[in-house]
Amino acid sequence: MKDTKIVTKKLSFYYGEKMALNSVSVEMPEKQVTAFIGPSGCGKSTFLRTLNRMNDLIPNVKIEGEVLIDDLNIYDKKVDVVNLRKKIGMVFQKSNPFAKSIFENIAYGPKINGISDKKMLEEIVVTSLQRTAIWDEVKDRMNHSALGLSGGQQQRLCIARTLAVNPEIILMDEPASALDPISTAKIEELIFELKKNFTIVIVTHNMQQAARVSDLTAFFYLGELIEFGKTRKIFTTPDKKQTEDYITGRFG
Amino acid sequence: MERHFEQELQKLKSRILKMGNLVADQIHNTMLALQTCDIELAAQVIRNDKIVDKLDVKIDKLCQRIFALQQPVATDLRMIMSSLKMNNDLERMGDHAVGIASRIESISEYPEILKELEMEELIRQTDVIVKDVINILNTWNTTFVRDIFAQASAIEALSQKITDKILEEMSQKREVIVVASALMIILTQMERIAGYSTNMAESVVFIVDGEMIKHAKPGSLFLNPDTEE
Repeated sequence: MKDTKIVTKKLSFYYGEKMALNSVSVEMPEKQVTAFIGPSGCGKSTFLRTLNRMNDLIPNVKIEGEVLIDDLNIYDKKVDVVNLRKKIGMVFQKSNPFAKSIFENIAYGPKINGISDKKMLEEIVVTSLQRTAIWDEVKDRMNHSALGLSGGQQQRLCIARTLAVNPEIILMDEPASALDPISTAKIEELIFELKKNFTIVIVTHNMQQAARVSDLTAFFYLGELIEFGKTRKIFTTPDKKQTEDYITGRFG
Repeated sequence: MERHFEQELQKLKSRILKMGNLVADQIHNTMLALQTCDIELAAQVIRNDKIVDKLDVKIDKLCQRIFALQQPVATDLRMIMSSLKMNNDLERMGDHAVGIASRIESISEYPEILKELEMEELIRQTDVIVKDVINILNTWNTTFVRDIFAQASAIEALSQKITDKILEEMSQKREVIVVASALMIILTQMERIAGYSTNMAESVVFIVDGEMIKHAKPGSLFLNPDTEE
């Protein structure tokens, strides 16, 4: 069994008066893929964003409970959020490359973290692009704008940009939902490769995607964690009827 | 970038082949034990059935997992559907081997009866058909599938011929009734092994060519009966 990387304890979250997460306790192992599934509005994306304090940016929210990463409560007042987000990278539904060259997109993070040595930067850029299996496609046009890449390539570039600052955890919020099937398959294979070195948490609307890429699956409904366990168990013999109804499409 | 799914399929292929070789060994040993009335070898076959059963469950679980997690289509779908079926066929073949092995002791009282009935050829053919079908499974070469059907027909005909002889013997010698009854069951089980071998061959054709040839009319192999839904 892998070591635990992320733990939430009785985590509740409110948008104003509205409770979006109700006392969610879960343990996510290191270097595994954990997928969150559930219908729209079930709280899965809110939960994902609590893991690197992205919800801090939203006004009038309240959080209760704890999020521990490597046994440290990330909501502790002493925690430096910038450093926290270096450790926990995030990839969004819509790829969002900077309007800069491919090289600059990847080098941006390391540069603002103080790396100025050109050779070192080049090495980071090449390694990051290789790790996301996009290097061969872009190596001859490193100075071209990243905005000229296809949607799938842009998304892999954004994952490479996340890797460049050497995170430990990668959060992915619907990373392939705007992509065609081939690009989706590439992202899924990439996730499978990346879990050798990173802890990955992915939110997806696509249940089949959760089945294909994840080791563990959490099913959320109306802000509650209904079932959490090994993906192979959840998708073959779930314990809860609600989970069964959702994954078989009988929900409602 | 190699599909992760590919690794799962490779795992399934190698497990099915392992199951095939295991069952082929079980049947080979059973045929040898029958030929020589070797009770100890027969007991070994019966003991080894546990290994077959264990692998059977393991393959079923792997297929279930692949269906649930990978949503296979086209060749992959046919491969997994057929693997489930072949796994079941192989497990049943293993059970028939045990069925035969468990009756060898009762035959050992009249070892000469096998010679009298000219069983050697049937024993040899049963061993060969299983080896041949496992070879098809190993190579995925469907060129020799027709041979399996021909071999199965030959086994059935031979078995019927021997059954007639047994019935004749039984009507004349009351003392052979017990042995003869055991032999009749053994013959049925050998026919079943041949039958499952043809099922296996059909499954390989389904994987490789996508043709569902089961229940095709005799003599019209590779021509489907009307199976449109």
